[in-house]
Amino acid sequence: MAFAAPETPSRVHRIPQSKYIDAVRWLSPVSALDRFAAVAYYDTDTNSPSIEIICVDPNPQGSSPTLTPQSSWTPPSRISSLKTAHSTHQPILAAATFSGSIHILAPDLINGGTVESEATVSELGFHSGPVSAVDLREGGTECVSVGEDGRVNLVSFVGDSSNLNYRRIFDANGLVGYTAVKWASPSEFATGGYGFGLQWWDQRRPGGPVSQFKGNWCQGKTSGIVHSIDIHPSRKHTCLAGGSSGTVFAWDLRAQQQPIVLSGAGTGEAPISLLSESEVWEVQYDCYTRSSNIGNITSTRILPIMICSEDGILAVIEQGEEPLELLAEPCAINSFDIDQQNPSDVICSLEWESIAILTRS
Amino acid sequence: MPGVSSASGGSSASGGGALVPISPESQGAAVYPLNHGLKSPISRLSISWSRGNSLRVSFFAAPSSVEDDAGGTVVEVKLGGGDGEISDAHWRRIAYGSVSPFALLQSRKNAISSLSKMSTNSSPYDADWWDYIMEYSKDINALLSSQKPASVPVIDDPKSVIVKGEEPTNLKAAWELLEMFYAEKPSHLCLPERLVDWLADFDSLFSGTHPTVHSKLVDFQKELVNLQVVEDNPKYWEVMSSALAVGWLDIVVKMLRLHGSYQLDQLSNRETENGLVEAVAVLISKMPRMRLDQEAGKLGECFKAKPDFVKAREKWRAQINKLDSSAFWFQCAHLQTREGLRSMLQIMLGNANSLCSATCHWIELYISHLLYIRPFTVGLESMYSLAQKIIQLKPMASAHRLMGLIIGILGENTEVVLAECLKGFGPWMVVHAIELLTAGSDHAEMLLLEERPNLGGINIEELHRLVYAQVLSSHPLTWQIAPIYLISCMKHGMVLLQILLSKQPVQHNQLLLKSIEICRLYELHSITANIMKIAGVHHWKHGRKGSGVFWLQQARDEYRLNRIAQQLFDSVGKTISDESFKQWEGLIQLLGSDSKTAGGLEFLHKYRDFKKSLQHVFDGKTTDAARQAVESLISLMKNPSTPQRFYLPLLYDSLKLLNWKDRPLLNVSQTNLLLTKLQDLSLARLRPDFIESELPPQALNSVRLALATNLGRAILEE
Repeated sequence: MAFAAPETPSRVHRIPQSKYIDAVRWLSPVSALDRFAAVAYYDTDTNSPSIEIICVDPNPQGSSPTLTPQSSWTPPSRISSLKTAHSTHQPILAAATFSGSIHILAPDLINGGTVESEATVSELGFHSGPVSAVDLREGGTECVSVGEDGRVNLVSFVGDSSNLNYRRIFDANGLVGYTAVKWASPSEFATGGYGFGLQWWDQRRPGGPVSQFKGNWCQGKTSGIVHSIDIHPSRKHTCLAGGSSGTVFAWDLRAQQQPIVLSGAGTGEAPISLLSESEVWEVQYDCYTRSSNIGNITSTRILPIMICSEDGILAVIEQGEEPLELLAEPCAINSFDIDQQNPSDVICSLEWESIAILTRS
Repeated sequence: MPGVSSASGGSSASGGGALVPISPESQGAAVYPLNHGLKSPISRLSISWSRGNSLRVSFFAAPSSVEDDAGGTVVEVKLGGGDGEISDAHWRRIAYGSVSPFALLQSRKNAISSLSKMSTNSSPYDADWWDYIMEYSKDINALLSSQKPASVPVIDDPKSVIVKGEEPTNLKAAWELLEMFYAEKPSHLCLPERLVDWLADFDSLFSGTHPTVHSKLVDFQKELVNLQVVEDNPKYWEVMSSALAVGWLDIVVKMLRLHGSYQLDQLSNRETENGLVEAVAVLISKMPRMRLDQEAGKLGECFKAKPDFVKAREKWRAQINKLDSSAFWFQCAHLQTREGLRSMLQIMLGNANSLCSATCHWIELYISHLLYIRPFTVGLESMYSLAQKIIQLKPMASAHRLMGLIIGILGENTEVVLAECLKGFGPWMVVHAIELLTAGSDHAEMLLLEERPNLGGINIEELHRLVYAQVLSSHPLTWQIAPIYLISCMKHGMVLLQILLSKQPVQHNQLLLKSIEICRLYELHSITANIMKIAGVHHWKHGRKGSGVFWLQQARDEYRLNRIAQQLFDSVGKTISDESFKQWEGLIQLLGSDSKTAGGLEFLHKYRDFKKSLQHVFDGKTTDAARQAVESLISLMKNPSTPQRFYLPLLYDSLKLLNWKDRPLLNVSQTNLLLTKLQDLSLARLRPDFIESELPPQALNSVRLALATNLGRAILEE
């Protein structure tokens, strides 16, 4: 399979760290000069997790970028999911842990990036076992968390109480486990789980998911797990999901049970380009427009997306086109984040204890 | 002494070789006290391996009368903090980075060996081969450099004699030695000069244990700032002679130019003296050297061919002799300058005594001999005999690990080289060095690839790869690169890989999927299935029923699916009539329509369909909907996977269908089927393991009555 090579190669810098990196996110900048990112580390030698705010200097005197740690905060256990909200005056981080707690952090980027835990939910019974995914609503007043225990919780943090209250939206009692979650609108969100299943939830219609997508479309092939979901703010009816066996598909709520397979196992009909055969850990809509102007893309077409995978691929997929491979690492790419303000820049966490910063030209 | 790992990560027990099964020296048992904090006497002790090279020691206290005393405690003891020179994180970085070069070289080796099998007349070692080896060696070498680039000062300070480059490490020094002798085959002619460069880079490494020229220079550099008249200081001349002896021409010339006679105010009355200093400086910078390339800015004249070099060297020596016997020396008033310069000339002329007194340890003396006395030394044999002679001239009290390695290499003794690598640098070094050792030497290849009965039929190469793979496997971050090394082991690799994968924890999806991915790469389907089964049962036990069912389905484990189905039905019987049916919806969707992978759970699917159609009947009351419900009821009752304990609830739920007003919905044979099932149920109730459903007591009778009525109506209709 030949992949389209980028016309102008992007610059990649790999910066070795001495700890495992569980997740990495850009923070929305507070000034034009400084750029910050949040990194969830895990030190295996001392068995200690940490969330660090780092200042990214992309180009000090023409050499490779430098990462300067600004501040650090120690969660009670390893981070399972880390999300940021962008449209807030101050960046807000939501961190979920393997011990079943959620922490809302608000780093003060102007005064040295000090991280303080603004609020925490860690009560017994919030989640049993790890929180598998968390997502912050734009505007940053609420976040939703899901777990393999089948619980869907809504945490709101308006006001300044340090111990948050949460509302149980649903409890599947472990009969269904959820592994991914993403807000679609202030009242709707989507979850994903085992067997490539997706669920659509609407807070206005409580009592369970309002719509479910059956994941059994890949007949004969082994099924898989959804690891990541993304929903574009302008296309709220389409839910993009990435998961096992290199599978990336979109679920259009208007065409209920017919997935649009963008990569991977496929429906067995048209030969769909196989970018990767292993786990797709994260999917995100890629807002970095290339030559084709985005306005021409009709609403039925899926916008360009970026994925990262267990076999070390970072690529951009456009419906009906050859995927564009940006990175092919010898180790897994665990997570990545596209800078919302500066979409040519991508930060990735590599399995071999390093961070890669990619600048597309 | 070992530290408790929770306190700090970097304590060391027995230095670099701690991971290696062969103990370098048996020094007798070392005793380390452990603080366990228990008050009562210890009754039992359990020691097991923890993560990495940590030992987990569990102390169990004897039952005591004191109430508050803890019953026991667990202490983690970290063994061998590693090299000291290279941190654990850096070692991991090296381990990660060497995966790709190693794998690439292996695949190239395999390609070459399969090619040479096809055509018998072509040699397996062609020009490409040396390129591959060199590429491999360079890739590995690049990993060993420190990550931070050396900062180059913008303004050249005339008084800074030594340029501080990147911090040298013993590991890099050792690798460069191996590269020089085993990977750069064609340049053997220039080996002496390569050694000169090597020592210039790494002489400081010996400073810790031995006096070195480098440490002399460093000391003098400190003094230099406070010296007004350098040429009066005997150390100035001593240090310059030493630097000249080991061939650091740039430093010597730079230092000569610090001579007081260069100063403008003194130039007029020290003209002759200055002329002599400058003459020596020019001679030094014109020294002919036999080497392939010269770094820009380095002094000396390069010659690639031997005849040119011989001619130039004779001419250069003649010039030195001429200067040495010139009359200008008598006009030089400054005693130190005269003596110092003349002793430098002696060094350049190769005076053995001068060289010996100018150098500190035998490698420096050896280098000086190669430079000034025997520059034509070619071949390892003559280099080795020279080295032995030199060692006798400058015997060392203690040996440095790099010295042992050099002797092994020069002596062409593969066993010694391997042993020194292992002792000094650990299993990583051995595994990756073997690739260089076997690259061009048939003898080494025979030695290392010969199967040995005392090693269980494996060869030395495989033994070391297995050891290294074990080291990698013991760390939670590096275990995932161990498979690369294991699959390169022909005999035991695959089995150990299977064991490694089977031992990985399954609690977290990321790790679990990683193991499955590795299984997929090496086509270990049975291991995949096993891992999935373990994961399934783990999730099931922890109440994550959906995840459990998913993994068991993926493993196609019908046996366990049927077993857990029985447990699931217990909760179904209680809850499915409630509103909580939504919870089940997701699980039923997960099961899918494919009954093969669902095991006994396909009943759930049918039961859901039946419940749905029954719901339609209650909502709409149309006969069509009722007929559909009857169809699902019959297919449920016919299906062998429907558990018996559901017979009565199913029939009780369908009472409305059985008593359908308009006309009987079930025909005679259908009714008979249901009656038979009811009969089976009555028999089953006599068994002790039967679970009674939670229904009103009259349920059975009302079902019986309804079925009998229906039978009568059906017979009449037919």
